[in-house]
Amino acid sequence: MKTTKTPARADAPLKLRPLHLPPHEKRKLGNGLMLHLVPRGALPLVAVRLVMRGGSVWDPAGRAGVADFAARLFRRGAGGRTADELSEAIDFVGAALGGYANEENVVVSLSCPSKHLEAMFELMGQVLLSPDFPDNEIELARRRTLAQLQNELDDPGALAERAWARAMWGTHPYGHETLGQKRSIASLTRDDLIDFHRTRLGPMLGHLYVVGDIDVDRVTTVAERIFGGWKGGPEFAPLVPDWAGPDRAGQVIIVDKPEQTQVQVRIGAEGVKRGHPDHFPLTVMNAVLGGGFTSRLIREIRVKRGLSYGASSSWDMMGAAGTFLLASFTKTESINELIDVALGEVRKMRTKGPTVVETETMKRYITGLYPARLETNEALAGAVADVQHYGLPEDWISGYRDRVRAVTARDAAVAAQKHLFDDKRVIVLVGNASSLAPKVERYGPVSVVKPAELE
Amino acid sequence: MPKATPRTKASTVKLPPALETIARSVIETKLPNGLKIRLVPNDSVPTCSYYTFFKVGARNERPGITGISHLFEHMMFNGAKKYGPGMFDKVLESNGGTSNAYTSNDLTVYYEDFMAEALETVIDLESDRMRSLAVTPKLLESERQVVMEERRLRVDNEIAGMMDEELGALVYKAHPYRWPVIGWMRDIENISREDCLEYFRTFYAPNNATVYLAGDFDPKHALALLKKYYGSIKAGPPAPPVLDAEPEQKGERRADVHHPAQAHSLMIAWRGPKGDDRDTFVLDVVQYALSVGQSSRLNKRLVYELEVAVGVSVDWTWRFDPGTFTIGLELKPGGRPAEAEAALYAELERLAKDGIDARELEKAKNNLAATLMRELATNSGRAHALGTYELMLGDWRRGLALPSAYESITGEDVKRAVQKYLGKERRNVVTLVPTNGAEA
Repeated sequence: MKTTKTPARADAPLKLRPLHLPPHEKRKLGNGLMLHLVPRGALPLVAVRLVMRGGSVWDPAGRAGVADFAARLFRRGAGGRTADELSEAIDFVGAALGGYANEENVVVSLSCPSKHLEAMFELMGQVLLSPDFPDNEIELARRRTLAQLQNELDDPGALAERAWARAMWGTHPYGHETLGQKRSIASLTRDDLIDFHRTRLGPMLGHLYVVGDIDVDRVTTVAERIFGGWKGGPEFAPLVPDWAGPDRAGQVIIVDKPEQTQVQVRIGAEGVKRGHPDHFPLTVMNAVLGGGFTSRLIREIRVKRGLSYGASSSWDMMGAAGTFLLASFTKTESINELIDVALGEVRKMRTKGPTVVETETMKRYITGLYPARLETNEALAGAVADVQHYGLPEDWISGYRDRVRAVTARDAAVAAQKHLFDDKRVIVLVGNASSLAPKVERYGPVSVVKPAELE
Repeated sequence: MPKATPRTKASTVKLPPALETIARSVIETKLPNGLKIRLVPNDSVPTCSYYTFFKVGARNERPGITGISHLFEHMMFNGAKKYGPGMFDKVLESNGGTSNAYTSNDLTVYYEDFMAEALETVIDLESDRMRSLAVTPKLLESERQVVMEERRLRVDNEIAGMMDEELGALVYKAHPYRWPVIGWMRDIENISREDCLEYFRTFYAPNNATVYLAGDFDPKHALALLKKYYGSIKAGPPAPPVLDAEPEQKGERRADVHHPAQAHSLMIAWRGPKGDDRDTFVLDVVQYALSVGQSSRLNKRLVYELEVAVGVSVDWTWRFDPGTFTIGLELKPGGRPAEAEAALYAELERLAKDGIDARELEKAKNNLAATLMRELATNSGRAHALGTYELMLGDWRRGLALPSAYESITGEDVKRAVQKYLGKERRNVVTLVPTNGAEA
């Protein structure tokens, strides 16, 4: 069709309707806690998240998983209220409130109808500031977490993610979640949880995001009352060490599930950290390679050859390092064809880059849909938090579409050449190892692991 | 769809302000060829969402071509008269949009999210494939392989998928809900091009479709475009009715699935009422009381107190004909399924005996109202929710009036519905039995 094939149309300047962003007000409490208030919305809903740099990266040796385990226990008894009393109060008004940790952050999030915001804020304060960590709840959570960790070994996709993360990160702190978690969860004590809460969390590294149907002054007053007395904790989070690239570069790891008729495939390599100057060229380039439904990977793997239902690639950019991931799956017999096509497409992109038409197409795709990525209160809170936590420019959100628009095919090609992998990649497969091993030796030394080794 | 239930006139129901605003914004019309059009303007972000609901799904299939609704959904992206193979997504993405689709037992639903400027392109693309889809032999063969790979992903290599498939065949003996939406593997292999063409003629006529457009657009302009592009598509004969010949179940049915796994798990289901039956809303309340939140009955009792399950889920998806109320129990390694079952049935008996008190009832209603509000938070959510309510309940207004429908439900209603639908004689139980030696 004319709309995509003639460069004249593709090169035509893209006019975008303005993005009306709600005001974002920052207010700092006396104890250092920063409030981010974003009033918006026709619906009587509010999203709140309190984010602290203190995630699993900083879990001490032998205590892998302590941050997430402790954060999930915050609401199972706090401020003298039992888990049942807290759950009843939260559930009664149709709210969701809970804590968790990822690699970099500990998060307590709340979503609720706006008329219940103050009452839920009170509970959020108790849950965050004075968790009781009752012994019976610790033991219950321990038994349940260990069972869930083991049950997850039945999920081929989850197994692939775990094996991939371990092969990529090795002993780097970003891989904490995949290292000996079972042993560590089994041995965590109540003192470990209290110690985590006291030494790794505090108002000076906390940011509270409140987005939705709110009155900013009222929220400030309430936040001051609830969180204003919070003291102690670290002044800043220690730096995350540099990463030397994939731990098992050049190797092939097979997780043996003999009953599988389909192989889960993950190919990984080094990427870039958040805020990297090549962020936008890489984003556009990746959309061409494995982003949308017209990507090269979809075209070559799904449309042309019927090898799979899905194929995608993505950059995961974190504060200190980033990864590139290519993910797909196919029946055991087609494994070589799938890997060859995937590696071939990466090579082609690295050496030649995207075409002008592809670049312009994906720029429209990304910019056109960007506003829809900010539609919910939760999504906007997440985007605002990213700007803060990765130290991105203040106009990151409002200028996002313009930055995408400024990327040229040449920029994308240069970025591809610089950052896409050549031979420093890890291949992880989940499937029948005895059928797969002889087929995949040609991609590098093969090692086979049992699912239970990934607990 | 049956029109059995008398319904409250929307105008007599007082809506909460946020829902009233949405209700007032909806513009509805029907083209002479029968295409129903609903516009839901809102300029909070410069994008739109476009949904096309076809009233056809696995329910309209027959043995031998099970899975054709879903395979056909894939073929809808493979080219029509004006926009040939591969063009649909290419044109859409280059205009700042994205698309996807899903097939259920009752419906096939196509949707696009896109920047506001691309509206005409989207209408052009969607009307093109409704008017003149091409089913080429080559693309059908390649798409068949893709779907078979999808089946391997979701059923053959996924424990929940295997169990769900077994469960459907247990609950239904005569009704087409018996087979999985993705279809049996051999049927997917055997569906012919002629089957596809006949299917298209029968079910993809404008009079079997409803279009929802939500987002940043000028209603007059949008309506003119819709008339221009869809107006000349010919209406088709009405789709053949589906007979619900399902006999009454007269005793518990059980099946085992043997497969390598870490632990046993259970899926237990009962045939419920039709989607537009008032009891459907009562079972919504039951679902929430049982499983939504850490304080819900099954979470509290089975997960936290007795520890006979590490996770519980309840699925109560509305369908045209009586659908299934399904409870899933994930056990811990070494856990005993008989114990988990007994604990579950004790909870259901408690509900059947005592119903629920006013506070718990209010909790469920608060959560159902909050869920509705969250569904309506995006353009895509609004178009999808209102469209689904219209298709299921006959009118989108009934969807927005759900909070007041829930308001009228009493503890006695809950008690009666649990007795009527979730009893022992109507139970269907699928047990996953791990085969790696340790558990079997």
